[in-house]
Amino acid sequence: MIILDTKGQAHGERRGFSEQQEPPLFGATAIVSAAALKERFAPTDTDSLAHTGVSLTVDDDLSDMAGYFPHLAMVELVFSQFKDGRPFSTAVVLRRDFEFKGAILAAGDFLPDQALFLLRAGFSAFVVPEQFTAKQFKSALLAYSVAYQPGLGGAPDLLKTLRDPPTAVAAG
Amino acid sequence: MYTYDTLDKALLNQRVAEFREQVKRRIAGELTEDQFKPLRLMNGLYLQTHAYMLRVAVPYGTLSSDQMRKFAYIARTYDRGYGHFTTRQNIQFNWIELGSTPDILYDLSEVDLHAIQTSGNCIRNVTADPFAGAAADELDDPRVWSEIIRQWSTLHPEFSFLPRKFKIAVTGADADRAAIKFHDIGLKIVRNDAGDLGFQVFVGGGQGRTPFVAPLIRPFLPAKDILRYLDAALRVYNQHGRRDNIYKARIKILVDSLGADQFSLDVEREFEKLDPDLLAVNEKEVERIRDMFALPYLRPDTDAQAGLEQAMEQSNPLRRWCETNTEVHKVPGYAIATVSLKPVGGIPGDATADQMDTVADLADRYSLGEIRVTYTQNLVLPHVRVADLPLLWAALDQISLATANAGLVTDIIACPGLDYCTLANARSIPLAQRISERFADLDAQHNIGPLDIRISGCINACGHHHAGHIGILGVDKKGVELYQLTLGGQGNRDSAIGKILGPGFDEDGIIGAVENVIATYLNMRTIGETFSETLQRKGHSPFKERLYDHT
Repeated sequence: MIILDTKGQAHGERRGFSEQQEPPLFGATAIVSAAALKERFAPTDTDSLAHTGVSLTVDDDLSDMAGYFPHLAMVELVFSQFKDGRPFSTAVVLRRDFEFKGAILAAGDFLPDQALFLLRAGFSAFVVPEQFTAKQFKSALLAYSVAYQPGLGGAPDLLKTLRDPPTAVAAG
Repeated sequence: MYTYDTLDKALLNQRVAEFREQVKRRIAGELTEDQFKPLRLMNGLYLQTHAYMLRVAVPYGTLSSDQMRKFAYIARTYDRGYGHFTTRQNIQFNWIELGSTPDILYDLSEVDLHAIQTSGNCIRNVTADPFAGAAADELDDPRVWSEIIRQWSTLHPEFSFLPRKFKIAVTGADADRAAIKFHDIGLKIVRNDAGDLGFQVFVGGGQGRTPFVAPLIRPFLPAKDILRYLDAALRVYNQHGRRDNIYKARIKILVDSLGADQFSLDVEREFEKLDPDLLAVNEKEVERIRDMFALPYLRPDTDAQAGLEQAMEQSNPLRRWCETNTEVHKVPGYAIATVSLKPVGGIPGDATADQMDTVADLADRYSLGEIRVTYTQNLVLPHVRVADLPLLWAALDQISLATANAGLVTDIIACPGLDYCTLANARSIPLAQRISERFADLDAQHNIGPLDIRISGCINACGHHHAGHIGILGVDKKGVELYQLTLGGQGNRDSAIGKILGPGFDEDGIIGAVENVIATYLNMRTIGETFSETLQRKGHSPFKERLYDHT
């Protein structure tokens, strides 16, 4: 499946869990499940973790893996369905609480219309779901030039921006 | 009032363009209905029994006269000449074609209006006190904070796909006219002992299948931290709210299952992790917004009341209207006037395009161009000179909007029910109309005194039946519409959930049951005692005994 980063650039393909990720995806030569990560590696295996990505479901508990995150190359967050917005918060928490600096990849069931939300919540790239095209995602990334909240992606934070003076002070 | 600057307008225009594209993709078959549904819902577009329904936000219940005229235009151009004001201060147009919706949103954007997040599992339009900026008992204008919350919550990247919908209400007065304790988060503006402005935070209120009055989880939150705290609370909810059962997905269930104390601790823990500066409310921005809501100087007129008394002596209908439909304004010589959308036998909350245009003109003439929408489905002209009340009343009377029943038995809140809504089990509107006709006599209504009747056509409780002094819930029992009666609900600062009185009634039976309950009250009340006070003093038993012995 095609992978796009949040600038709309293609990044090869997402291969299966048992396959060698070639070329490496955001530094990861292999992507493993949460269970496999804990089984195969210790948080101290920093050299191996530097070439490893972990794929997390919405039910995986991040606190179980706290020691791994600073060393992992990449984290994939899988949307079980596009209506389940937990991965947006997971991305925020990964960046803030677990100091994860690597790439966060969105996978699973999500819509092009969520692309900007993904970018602004801290995702770095997404595996384009089969029923959509890369073009739809690229176009969605350009839908807004402004946002009201602080977030990633370069849009001005309107709550902190010096705004226009009111055009007219209306009553009441 | 808040007026959009170039940045607000840019975002709104981009939203309109995005939705135009989404509708195009849906019509072309590139989006399935399942994929389109959450996108259209985030633009307030429902598929109802007969047609698409578009719910347009009235931001925290405040409208300008030009915005009201735009509603009239939409009603005439795209609907059947009327609109329906809802129990969340919004307006719904019930006969919309999908292909027209991008044009409607474009038309609305011309006057800074939109349908963003009026549905879907996201943060909805903020509810506020409809008397904001005019009420004599107000500590601070809740619209300032509601606008800040509106901006923060609009197209929020993290909180647009929550477990369920999320409703926030703000009041700046002790008398709660926004039912804040029946919201997911209720904010009451307070000052601490040092005189600093802040909020009491209530979380986990709601109606529906499992009603709760929200517990207080933060007695004082400094005003500058409001967004940081909301961010923390929403993140806890987004991560831990249930998603396996739609009926258990609201934050009230999470708060109840964890306990308010534990939920509060979880939020505080998250709050502490957040960078205090990242979401600190910018004081300059608060002042910019506050300036736009500032009331211009109004010259106090302490003699106006005497003139009104004279006019009322000449006209009993005017007197009755002033008694029920006007409230004290913070400036002597001014009044807050409620425009009843509950004419006898009418559909609660409905207004025709002509009525909307006339109300807009009257707002320009008598109320500084401002209109409010109440969650009780009425309109308000918030800044009327007391001396102008007779003229306003006469003008409203000409368009059938001067019914002197605000807060009385025929000021019924009702959801659209089975007539429009696909979720409903029973009809609400015809029931409201029949009760209204039964108690049409204004003298009798004024004799009965303050009494809220609220009707929901299903357990989702859009008609707020849990919070009605008399609540009516429509249920489907083996294909038959039945109505359950509850007594004792309150949607004010003493919020309470009504208790079911006994077995349900059919449509004829429920009318009789309401009559019976009111007759029981009239028999038992002491001089000057309201329905609620009698119920509190005597309890439910006498009502139950009389009702089920006689029906």
